[in-house]
Amino acid sequence: MNPAKAYAHLFSPQGGDEADNYRAPGQITFLRSDHVALNTEKLREAGVRYAFIGVPFDEGNVGRPGSEEGPREFRLASQEYFPYWFEYQVDLFGSSVDCGDVQMPKVNPGLSRERIYKAVREILAAGITPVICGGDRSISIPATQALSDHIGADKKMGYLHFGANLDLADSWAGERNVSTCALARISELPNLAGENIAHVGARNSLNPKDWIDLAKQRDIRFFPMFELFERGVDTAVEEAIGRAWDGTDAQYLSFNFNVMDASMAPGVTASEPGGLESREMMRIAGALGERGGVSVIEVSELCPIFDVSGTTSRLAVCVVLRILAAIARSRGELVDQGIKRPSRD
Amino acid sequence: MSERGTGTWEFVPHQHRGPQQQTGADDHIYSPKLHNGTLKSSGIVTFMGAPYCPPERDAIRAMGAKICFLGVPWDQGQMVRSGTSSGPAGIREASTQYFPYMFEYDVDLMSVFRPVDCGDVPIVPGNNDRSHEYIYQYITECLEGGAKVIFCGGDHSAPIPASHALSDFHKDGKIGYLHIDCHLDSAPDWGGIRNTNCSGPARAYDLPNCDGANMAHMGSRNGLNPKDWYDFFVDNEIRIIPMMEAVERGVEVCTKEIFDIAWNGTDAVYCSWDTDSLDASCMPGTTAPESFGIKAREAIQVARIAGTYGADILEISELCPIFDVSQMSIKLACCIVYHYLGSRAKTLRDQGKTP
Repeated sequence: MNPAKAYAHLFSPQGGDEADNYRAPGQITFLRSDHVALNTEKLREAGVRYAFIGVPFDEGNVGRPGSEEGPREFRLASQEYFPYWFEYQVDLFGSSVDCGDVQMPKVNPGLSRERIYKAVREILAAGITPVICGGDRSISIPATQALSDHIGADKKMGYLHFGANLDLADSWAGERNVSTCALARISELPNLAGENIAHVGARNSLNPKDWIDLAKQRDIRFFPMFELFERGVDTAVEEAIGRAWDGTDAQYLSFNFNVMDASMAPGVTASEPGGLESREMMRIAGALGERGGVSVIEVSELCPIFDVSGTTSRLAVCVVLRILAAIARSRGELVDQGIKRPSRD
Repeated sequence: MSERGTGTWEFVPHQHRGPQQQTGADDHIYSPKLHNGTLKSSGIVTFMGAPYCPPERDAIRAMGAKICFLGVPWDQGQMVRSGTSSGPAGIREASTQYFPYMFEYDVDLMSVFRPVDCGDVPIVPGNNDRSHEYIYQYITECLEGGAKVIFCGGDHSAPIPASHALSDFHKDGKIGYLHIDCHLDSAPDWGGIRNTNCSGPARAYDLPNCDGANMAHMGSRNGLNPKDWYDFFVDNEIRIIPMMEAVERGVEVCTKEIFDIAWNGTDAVYCSWDTDSLDASCMPGTTAPESFGIKAREAIQVARIAGTYGADILEISELCPIFDVSQMSIKLACCIVYHYLGSRAKTLRDQGKTP
């Protein structure tokens, strides 16, 4: 924890010319953090654990468009939260910076993927965990490649994804890097073994047969919703987390919030009935945080134009912050209980 | 000019025609090879992309269809807000987002059932009786064509002619009648009108071959259930599982109970499923959304269990896309039908049977 920082942000506003209005944030950044240029040296100087980066790319989408708006809404929703989390007694203030959005050339998906790859490498090189918000699910392809290359061939990587679709098309309409191919490409990474891949939440029939066949062929363990219902969500998810975390050197964690029931997350590109509930996801976030760290966190397929009352982006932010808070907790970074709200005088 | 059935069932979606043809018998259960398939490019939208078949018994029989899908865009048989006439279009639209393959059951709905879409039943604005007569006729054609029927409404008066059609089709046997709804819908009449969306089970009970002992209801709750509706079930000793009981005992065990009742010594079962049985959070796109309902995941379990028993007619009613949010209601309605069919196909396969 930074001893030089002030603690006013932990408490209800006290009035004054600065920061007395919770609804007037000034600069819109992830969790009101500082903006730092996407540069390894500058990031290293910032001395933070997380760097947020937006990836407004949806040219890898096969269904409903609109995930381009994801990063913007994610940032806005993050401003609805305090960095202080009473459940974990931790303070996330100062733990992150915001690197802005990866600049996207339009109608040039190949170049976009290159830039996503470079951006993630740049952050990882600073020893910082990127928190990525898409964009469509295909952004996982260059981003996981970046983590894989960053750790190198002699290290082991784990991958855990939450979503309703397996995205295991070897090719889709002849294309190999669109969103429905994400896990097919990811599972080809050289330092990611099939036994360290887990997928949670598959259901309903946007999972064609070749995806199931490829999962079997590559020994990719997926935990469909029916299995979660039968075994209990916590038990099955704990096993999934173990596959990605146990015995690996780096972990890539990604969410397509259509893992949630459509009623809990209408603001995603492919909303699906029969998924997880918010309260279940909050427990999952806590369990993830207990692992004490993660190499990359990625959220894709948020689709604010279909959202209702901003609930989905708020849920997405809440899950990510809860993971960060639980990580801080598991590292023993607790807020000093002796700190009290300063007197007005 | 009238188009006649060709006599062959052939599944070639619009997207697979033209210069970018995809061929291969099982293309539809795999990721698309040459283009994005149905997900954004539509031909003429049918339910599940199934071939169109004229709603005529000979054409249906000639095509060998085991499932007929019908739309019933009738919304003048009810007394709540309107809009459910676009329900059939909504569920067809939702089905464009799904493959006919279901990994949960490892089945290809298309090849197992050879489904056809018979289009919508024509309706007569302002005339409930004539519209009901047409519904009766079109359902009868499908049954006579040797198919089970899945239809999407449309208001909840549709089961009155549709169950009548099933009753007549099995006039020498007995039928069971299931009603899943947040309302009991058992008014003897509503302001003197007998065949409205408030009277489905009451009219089913009037059928000569439908005993109260083979009728059951699940899902009722909240204060749009006047006393005469409740009295109907109690007085006629018809099993009623209110939502309170379904929550206490679990939706799955209750679903088994109602299907056991319906199939006890009967030859056919009519399953009438009102979308307002679902919780308003999962089904905003219904005419009378109600809180404290069946959750989406539970609805999928109800559909899965229903598939282990089967039904001759499965009706999804009161779907109202104009009130939908993010397509969640039409997709849930579609998933209910898909999971029902997937589970049905798996059950038949496990029993060594074909549809």
